Amino acid sequence: MTEPNTPETVEVLTEDLLADPAAPEVPSNPRKSTSSSKSKLYIKRFLRNYSAVVGVVIFLLIALFSVFGQYLTPYGYEEVDFFNLQVPPGTEGHIFGTNGVGNDLFAGLAHGIQRSLVIGLAVSLVTTLIAAVVGSIAAYVGGIVERIILEVIHFLLVVPSFLILAMVSNSVGGDWRMLIVVLIIFGWMFYARVVWTTALSIREREFVSAARYMGLGPFTVVWRHIIPNIGSLLTIHFTLGVVSTIQGETGLSFLGFGVKQPDLSLGTLISDGMGTLYSAPWMFWIPAITLTLLTVSMAFIADGLRDALDPNSTAGGHA
Amino acid sequence: MTTASQNPRVDDTDTSPVLSVRDLTVSFPSEAGRVDAVRGVSFDLRPGRTLGIVGESGSGKSVTSLAIMGLLTKSARVSGSITLDGRELVGLTEGQLSRVRGNEIAMIFQDPLSSLTPVFTVGDQLVEAIQIHRQVSRQAAWDRGIELLGLVGIPNPAVRMKSFPHEFSGGMRQRVMIAIAIANDPKLIIADEPTTALDVTIQAQVLDLLKTAQQETGAAVIMITHDMGVVAGTADDVLVMYAGKPVETAAVGELFNNPKMPYTIGLLGAIPRPDAAAKDPLVPIEGNPPILINLPDACPFVARCPISVPECSATEPGLVEISSSHSAACIRSGEIHQGQIEERPVFPVPEIAEGRIAGIPREQRSTVLDVTDLTREFPLMKGSVLKRRVGTVYAVNGLTFDIAEGETFAIVGESGSGKTTTLLAIMDLAKEAGGTVVLNGTDLRSVKGRSARDLRRDLQIVFQDPMGALDPRFTVAEIIAEPMRAFSIPRSEIEDRVSELMETVGLDPAHAERFPGAFSGGQRQRIGIARALASKPKLLVLDEPVSALDVSIQAGVINLLDRLKHELGLSYLFVAHDLSVVRHLADRVAVMYLGKFVEVGDVDEIFDHPTHPYTEALISAIPVPDPAVER
Amino acid sequence: MIKYVLRRIAGWCFMIFLATNLTYFLANAFLKPRVNFQLRRPPLPDDQIDRLLDEHNLNDKIPIIERWWTWLTDIVTRWDWGTSVDGLVVNTEIANRMWVSAQLVLGATILSTVIGIALGVYTAARQYKWQDRIAQQTSVVTLNIPAPVMAAAVVAIAIAINEKVGSRIFFVAGAQSIGVQGFWPKLVDSLQHLVLPTVALTVIGYAGFHFLQRSLLLDNINADYVRTARAKGLPLSKAIRKHALRTSIIPVATTVAFQIPGIFTGAVITETIFAWEGIGRYFTTTIAKNDVHGAVAIAAFSALLTAIGAILSDVLIAALDPRVRVS
Repeated sequence: MTEPNTPETVEVLTEDLLADPAAPEVPSNPRKSTSSSKSKLYIKRFLRNYSAVVGVVIFLLIALFSVFGQYLTPYGYEEVDFFNLQVPPGTEGHIFGTNGVGNDLFAGLAHGIQRSLVIGLAVSLVTTLIAAVVGSIAAYVGGIVERIILEVIHFLLVVPSFLILAMVSNSVGGDWRMLIVVLIIFGWMFYARVVWTTALSIREREFVSAARYMGLGPFTVVWRHIIPNIGSLLTIHFTLGVVSTIQGETGLSFLGFGVKQPDLSLGTLISDGMGTLYSAPWMFWIPAITLTLLTVSMAFIADGLRDALDPNSTAGGHA
Repeated sequence: MTTASQNPRVDDTDTSPVLSVRDLTVSFPSEAGRVDAVRGVSFDLRPGRTLGIVGESGSGKSVTSLAIMGLLTKSARVSGSITLDGRELVGLTEGQLSRVRGNEIAMIFQDPLSSLTPVFTVGDQLVEAIQIHRQVSRQAAWDRGIELLGLVGIPNPAVRMKSFPHEFSGGMRQRVMIAIAIANDPKLIIADEPTTALDVTIQAQVLDLLKTAQQETGAAVIMITHDMGVVAGTADDVLVMYAGKPVETAAVGELFNNPKMPYTIGLLGAIPRPDAAAKDPLVPIEGNPPILINLPDACPFVARCPISVPECSATEPGLVEISSSHSAACIRSGEIHQGQIEERPVFPVPEIAEGRIAGIPREQRSTVLDVTDLTREFPLMKGSVLKRRVGTVYAVNGLTFDIAEGETFAIVGESGSGKTTTLLAIMDLAKEAGGTVVLNGTDLRSVKGRSARDLRRDLQIVFQDPMGALDPRFTVAEIIAEPMRAFSIPRSEIEDRVSELMETVGLDPAHAERFPGAFSGGQRQRIGIARALASKPKLLVLDEPVSALDVSIQAGVINLLDRLKHELGLSYLFVAHDLSVVRHLADRVAVMYLGKFVEVGDVDEIFDHPTHPYTEALISAIPVPDPAVER
Repeated sequence: MIKYVLRRIAGWCFMIFLATNLTYFLANAFLKPRVNFQLRRPPLPDDQIDRLLDEHNLNDKIPIIERWWTWLTDIVTRWDWGTSVDGLVVNTEIANRMWVSAQLVLGATILSTVIGIALGVYTAARQYKWQDRIAQQTSVVTLNIPAPVMAAAVVAIAIAINEKVGSRIFFVAGAQSIGVQGFWPKLVDSLQHLVLPTVALTVIGYAGFHFLQRSLLLDNINADYVRTARAKGLPLSKAIRKHALRTSIIPVATTVAFQIPGIFTGAVITETIFAWEGIGRYFTTTIAKNDVHGAVAIAAFSALLTAIGAILSDVLIAALDPRVRVS
């Protein structure tokens, strides 16, 4: 695990020095520009978190596999090998074996990860952006705009989104691009609320008032002053958003409402593997373990980012 | 190395000290290295006496008090000796210390709003304090609690015992804290900035109460504060701390009359006096306190000291006894008499040239801001989640005033009086307020869109918090350039203007590419002023511009504001709770109470001959940094 | 106070009404019951399909507004939420399945809450010590194990135990066995079915409470009033237990209140894998079988429970926090 006394020093830095007005300020070297020393500090803090570093390594390996895996096997993921039905790993060049109709799992896995990852990244990126803009605008503009946005969010949270999600994505026939669109439509509200609460406190900061008193319009203020100052929150959200999207997508696909044949994702692989859990366990466990590694590694990365960017949540604005 | 009046060798009284601190050091680990927050503090304190510890942020005064209480975080390394009635406290376990805390030593903290547990009643918290140390029934403890609440001046104590902290005002909560502190007749009461968060009239009451509590219990008191006025009024002996070390210690009269350490002299010279009409410039201490990591073996004040000599950097001077009740840590203290060295003041008084406008009588100047019957109301809401309107609060109620060119108009009042709301109503171009506001002949409400934005050129603001007022992700150049960009000033001009502005406010233009985080509080406030000046405004709104700064830094910013007014012919609309600053900076002043002006007039007139009883109460409550006046 | 609560309830009712009707139109747009009949072999004639659909108010040839009005009046006048294409009555389905889900999720929710809070308190007091780190890392892992993987892993372990012991200690499918008689045998049988899904849900669910309780407690440990409590003479551990914990439990309690509705709506994936016929399973069936009325009823049911959770959490805050008590 991590070396024993490092977080202790973080604790002192944030809780004693920042909280105690009598304690000295943390020195910043005036020769260096603070931004570069800040990012160095973030990297230093992140690298100190071993589980986060391990997370990055695992994630990179999985991502590389998803891109280059298809070149390491002679079989395509849609190809059917009639001579090797449900063979265990290592049979005739089927590195991870095949399923009952002769699809190569290795090729399928590479494609499935790619599919799941692309969906996760795209959905999380767009939802984080929407949430950032909508949440900050609501917080900054206030008044009737804020009330309407909050009511809409509120309402969308009452609407059983998973049900509608399943219904819509089922009827569009498993096209992954449509799945992305649907997941975005029902994915941004919760984050927008979180962004809204944080942006409320940023709005109270005086540099925002100063910008308003210069006569800057609301979009300029939000874009130049509010969103950059919740950057660390958004980074963490983005990472966790990838995890939750992948979980949601695999869940939908597992139930048969997400990605569908002939396309496949980690969720469909697991769902198919479930059927042969006893006759061909590798068909389940290989994608299942890969999926778990993927979500857990990203969660560790998010954890490390949180520690590095925001060691003290109350000091959020300083990051 | 001891507070000399209590030096057992020369002391003629036979009471032994209740608290003895010897060579106390405290350090914390941090990412940048070990922070030496306290570097060798020693003093004795006898029963019934009050020791004032003064210093600015980071001087180590609060850390010292927390070390005595044993309340520092586990990562803090404490060495030296703290003895209470001859019993060593350093090295005791948490269990042993908890039997001392609240029983023999009690402590009162700065922020009464957060110091009481929000979910328990005041009575429960008092009873807890009693029952921790005494084997008494709950009923007996409850009765004692009522008695204590009555003692600290809370009306109707038997009923108020059942109230929750949020049902008390700040001053009342501090009274409850005092009741808790004296519940077990402690030998020592530590008060850490007990009145900093309170309004000036409340401050006076709480300080009086502390005195009563001290007489009641016969306890010794350590009064930690940055306010020289509070020290002058409460302390018997004073310990001045700088960079984690005591630099001067003396009986209170001696310290104010004949300080021997340049830092103390600077500190006293930097404070505006509420009882002086003369508008001489204040004497700032240049520079900033050192960072307490890897300090060199030299006088920590050397970089800021106007009378430093090469020997000052040779080694760090210790406290040297000057008389039986006076020690100072300065190698030249023998040459200093009454703030003078070689017949000249230790700190040279800066010159501020009077501007051309000062000679023109007020009636002949143009009016910059004319406010008539300004009103700002808020709906009074009730309910926790879904709020409903139950009435109207008039935060600002019918204000009428005008500000002439080159004039400083100050609004004073306590928290909740509506002074900041007044400023914001004007800054919001009176959008949601009633009444008329005319800026340079233009009615604010008659303009919209583009011309409203142009109007803002003439009206800029400087905020209280130098940390919060600057976007941490912008460089200084970007911050100062932002209003110019907003007002569409050509790019080519902006760059020159940024350098020019930085020079005007006393910053080095070479630092334009740094981020605000690299600057100290005073420098950040200067950046804020430069930004406000960027659009060449006629009227600057100053919202508590110096209240977040340490006194030595504050003086420099006040002088800067004074100079800018004369050089640029600016008008200020100025809000502050510190009446000494107001008296120093303002030409005219309005006293605000519950949303209304109760008195408006010339600043000296109001301070010297207040007519309204509220003004009188306000002014008599200001602590004067002079023990002769205070007692 | 009562007026305020009534207004809140009215607001929520409106929300539920809106959400339910929105789902009705969406469900009619995306679910095609006609397909169920068109796929019949031998093929049915069109007019017979129409007749069958008409019987259940599901004929897409009738204008949607008309169908909606029939559906709505049936609910309002007779509390009849309609039938599926196969003629299953929605009211009965929900009523039966709700308790199946409750059986499944109730135990897991209680266990997750208790374990999570206990762990949060334990680790917050030991911040950055090895116990805290191990618990933290473990919780990050368990929280992020996908539900199907977790369920399959639990099943695999249970089967291994069954084989080792040589008898069926754990059942991996269904809520109960058929033909068990008597109170005690029935109870034992239920527990044998219940253990595995409960374990699977608890392992995934507790970590959320762990993190929440830990971070709230840590925020409060450094609060000024905890310092005051220590200055009064309470030792650190007692000051934390009495003052910090009491304050930090408030947001945890409201979060728990929000979770209670989830008990009745079940856990879709876990129910699917363990073959429990609860609401979660119903959810997948309705969509797969184009059961418009069933899907809408689930939507209404979960919206109602969300509202109950929100009101419950408001009530809890008012009860626990004197600062927001309405006078």
